[in-house]
Amino acid sequence: MKKLALAGILAVGLTGCGSDDPQVLNLYNWSEYMPQEVLERFTEETGIQVVYTTYDSNEAMYARLKLLDESAAYDLAVPSTYYVSKMRQEDLLMPIDRSKIEGFDNLDPELVNLDIDPDNQYSVPYLWGTTGLAVDTSDVDGEVTAWADLWDERFEGRVMLTNDMREVFHVGLRVLGYSGNSTDPQEIEEAYEKLSELMPSVRTFNSDAPRMPYLEGEADVGMIWNGEAVMGKDTMPSLEYVYPEEGIIAWLDSFVIPKNAPNPEAAHQFINFVLQPEISALISEDIGYATPNLAGRDVLDDAVANDRSSYPSATDMINAEFQEDIGDDALQIYAKYWEMLKSGR
Amino acid sequence: MRSVMQQPFRTAVLVLVWGWLLFLVLTPNLLVIGASVMTRDPGTFISLPLNLDAYRQLFNPLYLDVFLNSLYMATMTTLICLLIGYPFAWALSKVPRHRQMLLIFLLIVPFWTNSLVRTYALKLILATNGLLNNALMSVGLIDQPMQMLYTEGAVIIGLVYLLLPFMILPLYAVFDDLREDLLRASHDLGAGRLATFVHIIVPMTLPGVLAGIMLVLLPAMGLFFVPDILGGSRNLLVGNVIKNQFLDARNWPFGAAASIMLTLAMAFLMFAHRLSKRRIGEDGV
Repeated sequence: MKKLALAGILAVGLTGCGSDDPQVLNLYNWSEYMPQEVLERFTEETGIQVVYTTYDSNEAMYARLKLLDESAAYDLAVPSTYYVSKMRQEDLLMPIDRSKIEGFDNLDPELVNLDIDPDNQYSVPYLWGTTGLAVDTSDVDGEVTAWADLWDERFEGRVMLTNDMREVFHVGLRVLGYSGNSTDPQEIEEAYEKLSELMPSVRTFNSDAPRMPYLEGEADVGMIWNGEAVMGKDTMPSLEYVYPEEGIIAWLDSFVIPKNAPNPEAAHQFINFVLQPEISALISEDIGYATPNLAGRDVLDDAVANDRSSYPSATDMINAEFQEDIGDDALQIYAKYWEMLKSGR
Repeated sequence: MRSVMQQPFRTAVLVLVWGWLLFLVLTPNLLVIGASVMTRDPGTFISLPLNLDAYRQLFNPLYLDVFLNSLYMATMTTLICLLIGYPFAWALSKVPRHRQMLLIFLLIVPFWTNSLVRTYALKLILATNGLLNNALMSVGLIDQPMQMLYTEGAVIIGLVYLLLPFMILPLYAVFDDLREDLLRASHDLGAGRLATFVHIIVPMTLPGVLAGIMLVLLPAMGLFFVPDILGGSRNLLVGNVIKNQFLDARNWPFGAAASIMLTLAMAFLMFAHRLSKRRIGEDGV
């Protein structure tokens, strides 16, 4: 479990004693995004201790890496899609030495050599996933098939959204038929107007562990990441993951090595370790997100490989849209409406 | 001999205190002031030229709303802390000395646990299928779980819980110094209990009340993780705006300006505190 400030405190406390020791890997990852078993097996195999720190938003990760650039606090981080291109362009990353990464050729050709990082000079895909609809079928009567259904008045006070500005606006924009990566101020404003109609229904925002409000009985319907839905279903079988008609939000998270990483050698070793088919499969089975490692997919447990929540079919991905960098001007517009949305009463 | 021994010790303490203030108080605040008058920059966070745009942005009606909402929640928190803390501190000053120490110790024990962890614990208690709802339903007081989590009330409960000791401790200090002879004199001169309370006790404990308000009101506007966790990120405090501006919007000048506004509000309260002390007199006469 990661918790906002707690992670920060850990980071400050642990990096202080870790960064000089060559046998330490400082891994900075999303919360609940790596099974403990993988870290333990890596240490067992290589003797390298892993100092594991977590974040709950790309923004937090980016700000910390940018500020700690000089002090070389982390060896490996896992930014989402468009943050890879942003960090690459701002010269925050170290090129990855492909000769040290044995399993690279096993990666899904559809998920490498993307615009965010041509030739994957700076990034190696770790996991990919989607943000879709969660429905607690024990409390919801009737079908929920589209983002627009969230506006239904029967869900008043029972809706949960992720605490992620881009994702929430993505939903608003898609419901209106626009691209989730819109940079048009007019469209963003319309999305804000639309979303503010939804606000009375919204019980909570959560990007900490978006399955929890459903499990806790605080919300019945709303947004969720597919891996969280899979993990949540283990505890609460009535939690269903739905691919909304307007299109799912897709993202790809990749390993990157910060420019001043103290131990890039260990970072390469870790990427290599994770790309072993057996380890990739273990990760996907444990946390429910899809591995881009095709060799890993081959050895997946059948139940996971056939779970549409983790591995969507081609029809599920119709209208799917990857998040892209929208540039700083649009970001300011989003940020303004995001605060208006949250303070609106 | 002793004074020679004391000299280096004194110097060391002074260096430590001044070094602390200089590097950990003055420097960060100067950096914040500096950031607030610079220009937002997407690449390096802040850049020249200097300007006051960030302060102008503070007067945007949106942020006025957030500030007023924040002030309202902080005021409610402070009032509740005062209502609980005032009689608590009074009673505390009346129990035998050795028990006082124990009670104060118990008051401080929760601080040994990180406040974030305690806030998550509170979440488990307030959740729809949490401890409180289950307890109330099992004794038959309610049939349906109450929605307590992710409400304004939950945020205020969380703030009161975290900040109550900061109200009690300064109040305890003034009650502890309350001079019995003045109370007896008031009684001898024919004042009833109410008159004694209004004319003697309240004015004499006023510095403690103001100190408590200072220690509760301002932090209550800044504890951004409480609305994040207990309010479902729906009730923005000034602290949430500052955090959002630094992290999500990456508008450091504006975040810094909002932070300075809180500091100025604190300075204003301290000024009021000093005025009240001067009126009553430092020794309570």
